Amino acid sequence: MPDQVNDFLKDYQAFAQQSWDAWMRYLQQSGAPAPFGAGPAAMAPSEDLLTRSLSSLKAYGSWLQQAAGGAGGMGPLGNWQQPAAMQPFLAAFSQPFAQTIAGIDTPSAFGLEHQWQSWLQAMQRSGMSGMAGVGGMGGMGAMGAMGAMPGAMPSQMPNFGLTREAQKDQQALTAAIHEYMQISARYQALLQQVNTQGIARLQEMLGQRTEPGKQVDSMKALYDLWVDAMEEAYANMALSDEYRDVFGALVNAQMQVRKLQQQQTEQMCRELGIPTRSEVDSLGQRVQQLRRELQASRQREIQSVPDNSEVDALQAEIAELKRELAASKASKIRPIARKSDDNDNKTAAASRAKTARSASGKRK
Amino acid sequence: MHTPLHIDPQQAFNEMAGFQRKLAAGVQNLRGLTEQEYANTPREAIYSEDKLTLWHMKGSSNPTAKVPTLIVYALVNTVWMTDLQEDRSLVRNLLAQGEDVYLIDWGYPDGADRWLTLDDYLNGYLDRCVDVVRKRHGLDAINLLGICQGGTFSLCYTAMHPEKVKNLITMVTPVDFRTPDNMLSQWVQSMDVDLFVNTMGNIPAELMNWVYLMLKPLRLNQQKYVGMVDILDNPNELKNFLRMERWIFDSPDQAGEAFRQFIKEFFQQNKLIKGDLQIGKQPVDLGMISQPILNIYATQDHLVPPDASRPLGRHVSTTDYTELAFKGGHIGIYVSGRAQREVAPAIHQWLRDRS
Repeated sequence: MPDQVNDFLKDYQAFAQQSWDAWMRYLQQSGAPAPFGAGPAAMAPSEDLLTRSLSSLKAYGSWLQQAAGGAGGMGPLGNWQQPAAMQPFLAAFSQPFAQTIAGIDTPSAFGLEHQWQSWLQAMQRSGMSGMAGVGGMGGMGAMGAMGAMPGAMPSQMPNFGLTREAQKDQQALTAAIHEYMQISARYQALLQQVNTQGIARLQEMLGQRTEPGKQVDSMKALYDLWVDAMEEAYANMALSDEYRDVFGALVNAQMQVRKLQQQQTEQMCRELGIPTRSEVDSLGQRVQQLRRELQASRQREIQSVPDNSEVDALQAEIAELKRELAASKASKIRPIARKSDDNDNKTAAASRAKTARSASGKRK
Repeated sequence: MHTPLHIDPQQAFNEMAGFQRKLAAGVQNLRGLTEQEYANTPREAIYSEDKLTLWHMKGSSNPTAKVPTLIVYALVNTVWMTDLQEDRSLVRNLLAQGEDVYLIDWGYPDGADRWLTLDDYLNGYLDRCVDVVRKRHGLDAINLLGICQGGTFSLCYTAMHPEKVKNLITMVTPVDFRTPDNMLSQWVQSMDVDLFVNTMGNIPAELMNWVYLMLKPLRLNQQKYVGMVDILDNPNELKNFLRMERWIFDSPDQAGEAFRQFIKEFFQQNKLIKGDLQIGKQPVDLGMISQPILNIYATQDHLVPPDASRPLGRHVSTTDYTELAFKGGHIGIYVSGRAQREVAPAIHQWLRDRS
């Protein structure tokens, strides 16, 4: 069996590689729609982004390979309760989790490292590498090496001389990056706890599936169960006060770094006579205020001018009333007898009665 | 006792090979597929301002409803979730029931919109859209159908302009922003929103998408795509999948100031139900809402948990309040088969009873 397993895995690896290559070729074709994943970013013709797009599938493929390799070696998986026997499965699950978390670390989200490198390159290209601290930071490579940054400006060193302000700015940035890295490490530790708790939850779930009919009978079913367990563990963590505080601190720390980067960039732009983000924002704010005033003015105008349709309706009503009034006046000068026979009769009778009463009175 | 894993090694190998085979074949099926269109129900633009467009949606026959309904969508994502594809369209279903439907497409804010406030959105854009529809129909008041954040906006608007709203429908709408099961709320509580907005300006759509994906990272970033492999050989299902992907990721940036206000005053301070919310110069008191309300929530909503929606009934003064629990999630309430059968007819019936 082990030889067969090895042969199969060898063939599988070759097949899988061909498959991934075909997908990469497809994605690299110009005009191919973004198949899935992080939208506009997935459409960018960068191999890095394409790899990210495929990372979820690749993670699953790798897990299948690793877990099934374990399955092959373990036979029917009868001794799942033994930690050693389950190890191949459990170890295999760490990879898709880590890959998923890393795969969604997009440039505009928490990929501060990518941003940092782009910013640094831009600063160096623009001639700012001579600025205190910037050149030194170029040697840090990944931000993970922050603690050992060659040439980084010590955050507590007093500043003096012509470049005093630049030194101060650089110290603040160094301190902010340092804080970000510390909080990022705390955040990663929480995610690692999720991984551990998720695996423990998976074992519990498996323990509830020992009855025939409830057993896990495919690799996909096992994977789905693992996802359920991990999501449960993740939700518990994500709703905790600890996660709330670390997440908030992570966002705040990243924003602090970005803010200081922006300040330095603006300083450089001012020196080069290029409009800055603050200036554009300031203009935007004024334009928005003008737009509001314009709208308010339009509204006042609309309210001060009567609605034409209402005026038309009122005019029509007045005209109708005038017609009725004229008709009424005309009717008053018409002879009464013309109105109707009934009225004529009633009027004549009343007249006769009046005459009679009058005559009778006179007689009295 | 039996083992919980009843997986034959040979079967495991077959699964692996099958997965790779489907994946390899799937590349062929993806070739030639272009960007998937939404339902594109016939419509007419009747008003536009800045990035906003007010659409009048056209059914195959004239509407029978006398009072039109204006759909107010969230600023996040696009309103086309309500008209996603021909056989999964809330808009089409409402039109088929005889409703007269308008909807607001907020557009894609850019740097010029960085300073738009909630006052600009609600007492500006939304109010002007309502006026356009009212005037067009010669009515004092129209129906509002608010969705998600758009539902929250509709509540605020109705409280501020009660004379312009006849009936109010809210769908998957957050009202209490501080319930313990609300992950988004939990995450923003320790955030310095002022620093965030001052630094970012407008909030990039990609960042918003990242946050939504992180609500269920494995399910939304991995399991979904593993599942996709099974439909790679089904062109129709694949198109539906890609269309949904388009909707999920083709989303607008958020205007910085409006975002700042929304996170601070709604998520962090929960002012909507505390009663001390103010939009512009106008107080927002949910107690002012005496209009009939239909509040629809999704029982499995991971973005707006039912507990965030259900408290609405306790804070409004209307005596005509109806709740409808939809068995599904935040997106399923628009696109699932069950939604096609249940949601639009329920809305239509409720409106007809109040026409």
